[in-house]
Amino acid sequence: MTRFVLHRLLLTIPALFGLFVLTFIMMRVLPNDPSAALAGENATPAQIAAVRKAYGFDEPLWKQFIIYVEQVAHGDLGNSIISNRPVLRDISDRLPATIELTFVSLAFAACVGIPLGTLAAVWYQSLFDHVMRILTVAGLAIASFWFAIILQMIFAMELDWLPLRGRFPEGLAPPLHITGLYLVDSLLTLRFDQFGKAFVHIILPAFTLSLAGLASIARFTRAGVLETMQKEFVHYAEAAGYQRRRIIWVYVLRNSVVGATTQIGLLFGGLISSAVAVESIFDWPGVGSYAVNAILTSDYKAVLAVTLVVGVIYAAVNILVDVVHAWLDPRVAETL
Amino acid sequence: MRRRAFLIGTSAVVTMAMAGGRVALAIPGPDELIWAEDLPGTLDPHALSDVPMQSYMINVYDTLYVNRENPPKLEPWLATGHTISEDGTTVEFKLHDGVKFHDGSPLTSEDVVWSFQRMLNVKKGPAAAFLPVLDPSSVTAPDKTTVVFKLKKPYAPFVAATPLVAIVNRRQIEPNIKDNDWGQAWFASNAAGSGSYIADISTYQPVQQIDLKRNHDHFMGWSDNKSPIEIVRKRTIAETTTRVNALIKGEVDSTDSYLPVDQVERVLASKTATVSKDQSMRVMVLRMNNKKAPFDNLNFRLAMSHAFNYKGFIDSVLKGFAVRNPGPIPFNLWGAPKDLAAYDFNLDKAKEFLTKAKAEGAPVDREIEIHIQEHLAQTTQAAQVLQQGCRKVGINLKIVPNLWPQLIASTAKSDTTPDMWVHWVSSYFIDPENWIGQMYDSQFQGTWKASAWYKNDKVDALLREARGLEDQGKRQSLYEEASRLVVVDAVDIWIYNAIELRGLSNRLRGFHFTPIGSGADFRSMSLAS
Repeated sequence: MTRFVLHRLLLTIPALFGLFVLTFIMMRVLPNDPSAALAGENATPAQIAAVRKAYGFDEPLWKQFIIYVEQVAHGDLGNSIISNRPVLRDISDRLPATIELTFVSLAFAACVGIPLGTLAAVWYQSLFDHVMRILTVAGLAIASFWFAIILQMIFAMELDWLPLRGRFPEGLAPPLHITGLYLVDSLLTLRFDQFGKAFVHIILPAFTLSLAGLASIARFTRAGVLETMQKEFVHYAEAAGYQRRRIIWVYVLRNSVVGATTQIGLLFGGLISSAVAVESIFDWPGVGSYAVNAILTSDYKAVLAVTLVVGVIYAAVNILVDVVHAWLDPRVAETL
Repeated sequence: MRRRAFLIGTSAVVTMAMAGGRVALAIPGPDELIWAEDLPGTLDPHALSDVPMQSYMINVYDTLYVNRENPPKLEPWLATGHTISEDGTTVEFKLHDGVKFHDGSPLTSEDVVWSFQRMLNVKKGPAAAFLPVLDPSSVTAPDKTTVVFKLKKPYAPFVAATPLVAIVNRRQIEPNIKDNDWGQAWFASNAAGSGSYIADISTYQPVQQIDLKRNHDHFMGWSDNKSPIEIVRKRTIAETTTRVNALIKGEVDSTDSYLPVDQVERVLASKTATVSKDQSMRVMVLRMNNKKAPFDNLNFRLAMSHAFNYKGFIDSVLKGFAVRNPGPIPFNLWGAPKDLAAYDFNLDKAKEFLTKAKAEGAPVDREIEIHIQEHLAQTTQAAQVLQQGCRKVGINLKIVPNLWPQLIASTAKSDTTPDMWVHWVSSYFIDPENWIGQMYDSQFQGTWKASAWYKNDKVDALLREARGLEDQGKRQSLYEEASRLVVVDAVDIWIYNAIELRGLSNRLRGFHFTPIGSGADFRSMSLAS
């Protein structure tokens, strides 16, 4: 297993470097010079040229790239060209909010999607199965920003059950910073009142974000369970008199969720990118809204840093998924 | 046993969550204003000069002069007044005595000198308005209440531009200077002001939120407001629908001043909020690159000017929340001719001019690109209205999505500037120089404001003469003449002067709109119980 993990780690390095190079080129090849914005509304061409020189935007692209690679190699992702703050500091301030939202969404999608998919397979061609298929297709097709607004209108505006926006009530001190994840920090400090407040704030954004993932996991699980139920060991287990519930929820499910597990890994990247829209609508102070602002202001160092950090997280989650995959199905690790 | 423990635990968590939920839905406190408008990208007022910065700066910092009321009037603030030498190159300001920064240290003329020197050395944002006429060494303080500026040449808009420059506390910034950066790294997320409100830096999250606390010791006192607001929580809510919902629900006290017209009726129908409608000085322009064929042909530009349905756009798309502006200077500012004839929507005339342009050899059949700002829906709508008119007269107009930074970068050269693009010219300082001066004097070519690439020696001469005169009456006639010339030349398509729409909670009192900062001056505001 160690060899397997090491192999996966080694494969990650060129992938991340490729991502880094591509993003740099895409950001810098475009006519994407923020000098004019920095120089101010009334700047003359000479003043704009002075700003361009000061920031090194007049250097050849390859030179700018080498300087940037050197910086990153020293663990410095640079300063935001708009705010002049270290981008790593801005991202680390915001990353826990995105991580918390993504993991809660993923957990919700998995906890609900796997049982629903299993039940749909067990009750194959029943009314429940048909309804599930329609709902999962709808879940994949519905735009998250539209769904988010509908949820806001119903649960926040009409029923007044849940907060409209934000991560914590205005004017109240958030949980003591330990991990930056409000749900975890409030539990670690035994502040259940704070946990409650953080929990009600995450319900709508997490549910919105999880919708497509939930539908996808349910469909993969359904397909996996249907396939496994045709295997001989299931018939032997039934013939041997095992309880049907045990056969399905223990033996069949374990052999069926390999596909769904891979899907969860892929979903993670999708969820982080979908978080951009969801964070904007629910005013969630995460990396997504930071990235949107960075793109709109051509703050290319911030954009590069966000891409790199999200890429590292995405790679780490995929390695984790591969490990789980290998644990569920030892043949995977043996292929190396 | 394990199952029972799980059930008990789950029930406890859900109960706590619901209990928390009731508290979480609480509305803002009675002396807390929640102002949902974008924060600037940095807190350094010398590094940026945009609308969000203006709204932050006018509360946390003081300036020599300020703009108040609407139409704006320039009033002395830190200064008690100023004098200008006969040759127009020496400007002397007298300051109030006894002004204090937020840390209690005195604000004197030396701080004004240091602030201007810092702004000129940082060379960003507000510096652009001063660098052509002012060297850092030309600002001096003969005594603690006098500041003297020696200009390189007469520059009439100088005093009108001083509200762009925040006076900052050098005693707080100087210890944080690294590598001759004038404290930029530190100041990006700190404050050092003397204004009516004090930034609570512990609450600052970049581009997201900051709390401001009332400065009880402000030099102007608070006698003009019997119940000022103690805490202002500035919050960025990126999504318009969420911002409007939060206002209607009572979670915030304002939206930004760009409330979409389709949301106005919704806010007005609510019991919790209203809409402030204020005539601004923000002109929407469809730019034409006069150096690129066929826009180098006057008849083609005239055809384009008659192909836009001005009334339809203002009445249908903007629901009447805008006023037709026939030229580059906002109609409510001096210098805009009152008798300026606006181009009308007339497809027959458009066809006539197009035929003439074709006869003159202009390549009118080529595809024309108009670049819109992707995240600003109104720029797309304006382009679509023009596209409709163009289609009817046989001009092939293609709409290209783009973003502000890319667009202004592309305007550095005439061959990279788009055929057409859509933007507004907002009010950063109240002088025709901010509009016609920087849009059509050819010396500014290479900046986004002068992206029409228009060159007319007569217009250049008029604008340069106006810039050097102190007499407003004489300047007015020069700007009026220049306006008439650029309109006759159909340099661009000027659409409207905006009416700014801002959603406000019913409990808010004392909101006074001024184009600079869009009325976000919290000094005059209070909250009804």
